[in-house]
Amino acid sequence: MNATLLRELEQLLGPKGILARPEDLMLYENDGSVEEGRPDCIVFPRSKQDVVEIVKLAVRHNTPLVGRGAGTGLSGGALARRGGIVVTFSRMNRILQVDAENLRAVVEPGVVNLDLTRAVEGFGLYFAPDPSSQRACTIGGNVSENSGGPHTLAYGVTANHVTGLELVLPDAQVVRVGGAAIEAPGYALARLVVGSEGTFALVTEITVRLMRAPEDVRTLLAIYDRVEDATNTVVELTARGITSAACEMLDGLMLRSVEDYVHAGFPVDAAAVLLIELEGLREAVDAQASELQEVCALCKAREVRRARDTRERDLLWKGRKNAFGAIGRLSPSYYVLDGVIPRTKLTATLQHIEDVSKRYGFPIGNVFHAGDGNLHPLILFDRRDPEQLRRVIEAGGEIIQFCVQAGGTLTGEHGVGMEKSELMPLMFSDADLDLMRGVRSVFNPTGLLNPDKILPLGKGCGELRVQPLAGGPASAPHPSA
Amino acid sequence: MKPATTFSPARLADLVGAENVLTGAAELTAWEVDGLRPSAVVRPGTAAEITGILAMAAAERLAVIPMGGRSKLGVGMPPRNYDVALDLTRMNRLLAFDPADLTLGVEPGVRFAQLEQELAAQRQFLPLAPAFAERATMGGIIAASADSPLRHAYGSARDQLLGVEFVTGAGVAAKSGGRVVKNVTGYDIHQLLAGSLGTLAVITRLNFRTHPMPLRERMFVAAFVGSEGALECCRAIGKSQLQPRIVEVFNPATARVLQAPRVLRDRWSVAVAAAGHAAVIARHERELSRMARERGADDFAVFDGAEQDALFTALREFPRLALEAFPGAAIFRVPILPGAMPELLHKAQAVSERHHIETAILVRASGIVYIALLTPGGDGDARSAAHLLPACRDLMQAGPDAGVRPMIEWCPTSLKREMSIWPPPGSDQALAEKLKRLFDPQGILSPGRFLGGL
Repeated sequence: MNATLLRELEQLLGPKGILARPEDLMLYENDGSVEEGRPDCIVFPRSKQDVVEIVKLAVRHNTPLVGRGAGTGLSGGALARRGGIVVTFSRMNRILQVDAENLRAVVEPGVVNLDLTRAVEGFGLYFAPDPSSQRACTIGGNVSENSGGPHTLAYGVTANHVTGLELVLPDAQVVRVGGAAIEAPGYALARLVVGSEGTFALVTEITVRLMRAPEDVRTLLAIYDRVEDATNTVVELTARGITSAACEMLDGLMLRSVEDYVHAGFPVDAAAVLLIELEGLREAVDAQASELQEVCALCKAREVRRARDTRERDLLWKGRKNAFGAIGRLSPSYYVLDGVIPRTKLTATLQHIEDVSKRYGFPIGNVFHAGDGNLHPLILFDRRDPEQLRRVIEAGGEIIQFCVQAGGTLTGEHGVGMEKSELMPLMFSDADLDLMRGVRSVFNPTGLLNPDKILPLGKGCGELRVQPLAGGPASAPHPSA
Repeated sequence: MKPATTFSPARLADLVGAENVLTGAAELTAWEVDGLRPSAVVRPGTAAEITGILAMAAAERLAVIPMGGRSKLGVGMPPRNYDVALDLTRMNRLLAFDPADLTLGVEPGVRFAQLEQELAAQRQFLPLAPAFAERATMGGIIAASADSPLRHAYGSARDQLLGVEFVTGAGVAAKSGGRVVKNVTGYDIHQLLAGSLGTLAVITRLNFRTHPMPLRERMFVAAFVGSEGALECCRAIGKSQLQPRIVEVFNPATARVLQAPRVLRDRWSVAVAAAGHAAVIARHERELSRMARERGADDFAVFDGAEQDALFTALREFPRLALEAFPGAAIFRVPILPGAMPELLHKAQAVSERHHIETAILVRASGIVYIALLTPGGDGDARSAAHLLPACRDLMQAGPDAGVRPMIEWCPTSLKREMSIWPPPGSDQALAEKLKRLFDPQGILSPGRFLGGL
């Protein structure tokens, strides 16, 4: 990076507002995915005005810019794929306004997800999106990725909880989209920007909807001796319209590694568990709980336990939310997928995943949002072995293709980023992708902001990392054969 | 009047068959938009036909307005040009319905009422409850951002939308989103199209999430002498643990428009629906009646069965009922935070008194206020329109602060010639204009109907 730009950034932000030593940059070349991207410098704006000036400098020096929150992303969205400046929002972390009467808060992008809930829980309110990383991840990152979480099942993803945004466009213009009200006349640009993975604008202010904490929460753990009994329970609950606030599944491999790490009280001899939460009025929760018990029994649950108090409940959730970390103790690396399938296809898809695991020789653990069909297979491998890295991506690609062919999608909440951009042609035609490129160019015409993300770098299917299967999933060739 | 066009409807017939093109002047009155009559109505049966029509229209600069049940053609500014009515009612197939997955896919011309029946057979529903439910089509409901009482519990129409297929104004077929309930793959272009009033693309398929039908439902109506008690009651409900399906507040004028049985026509009403298990409904009844009493309600009624259906239908159909009774009415749609509602209602009252126009008010507690200025007389009634104009200008300024941006969802065409139904564009207008040029480079789709002249 040219020395003039570094000097100008330092003049703007002060010596504590910028990092450029190699050992510091190393800390920013990863996120939670298997991807890497080395930035040339890291800057820490403290205000919208800082962001505007940083963007002006980047434009003047024709240098790429990438926004970053806590770096917990799972698809390489906040990595500097083409180098340049990483704009880290950790110092823009003020909660600007809490309007309990109208269930709104205005926050800077660096506010940590759980900190907002902590700031409003005195009013009996909370911020609903609850990604597993919520103790660390920022609301700006949630906006970029349109993050979900276990309770997405009942309350929706981040897009459902954002009403307005302030943006700094890649030409340094400041624009407001949406507002505090429930809707705004005109094109729904706020809705379009949420989930654009930092490729449209740097977000400097977010107006979010708050929710009222439910009076009753019941957390149940249904324990199964066979995986398909657990998935059948989810299919049956969905079909009967029994709507829980969350419905998470952990398979045997995950249970054992989580239990070893967190001691949450998970049964280590089970094939799978469902962690189900019911929320709402006491009367509604009571009624749903008995329906739920009935379905679990019908689907051959060995036992349904109930968390007796907040401590037990928190422990179960701690186990669930630390599942990725627990796997980190078992294996040097893991590759987490995020495919979504229609919920009726759960059983078949898990069978396919097991088949992939056997064929490739990688252990695969499953911990996921079963209620909305959002899978998170964790493929265990050793990234120090380049051949393993190549094959793990191939195995992941095969699972994702199965999801798409089952009527699902590439990613339910982690984003496309740099990890899945070359898989986009599995779902989208050249015309679809060209239009998406056009939409990105409306916001980001020079492509300087977060370059080489989401859209495939090559044109057409020839560039696919994973070759499309010839027939349906049933006729999948066995590469190991 | 509309400029004469040179295109030959025979070319449309080549694309969709002569039986699907109408050109006789007398036949076309039903497709008029703000008094403008198209040169032809074309009824495509497939997305491929739409691609052909739009490619031709783009090449010849023909203005095209996509439409379904034609219930919301009055929404928006008068089009700058209008050559072809793109009538999507032939595309009325249910393409996919996976009851066990609670998802479905439909063509844009499927009528809401028809879909509601198909879903009810599986004890499911789409939480939309749009006005003009008998005529409204799924494409139109999404394109016009139709609002509904059920938004309170389920979110808006766009929140039910999982993905769309569409053809842009450049004649390019594309898609966005997917068919599953959770998805962040690619840009959410379907969310951009929702509410764009047919100015960017023609939607050819829509995928929705469905919901299980509640076991049972009951409605409650508390009556108050003034708006203060009604809004206070509404506020108390919002602060409670109750989880009602709908919460609507309306004034006596609206009560007269709704004509629902047993609703007091000289009172402000708070109408609440509760659904689910018997114990849940009983709890709602108990707490609601207490809250209402404590805020000075002088009546609390329970609605069941046919009476409940009638009240729910009337609330859903409020704009239609108001326009049927007062064809010259102007109906404002004001998105607003609950805390600012009392001040808005106060200003609406002041406008009503200053201009001597009766005002029907319907508050959706989730954050929309409808204010209908009830002027008698039809669209052609110049005296009525002259009366309406200053009141509408006044009300357009009535936002308690700059953050409130009302629009006039329904009004006579004559009023639209005097003032914009849209609030002034915001700082995002340049982005909106660029998006319009990207999707519709020749400006052929519903030109001029949208905010900022798009």
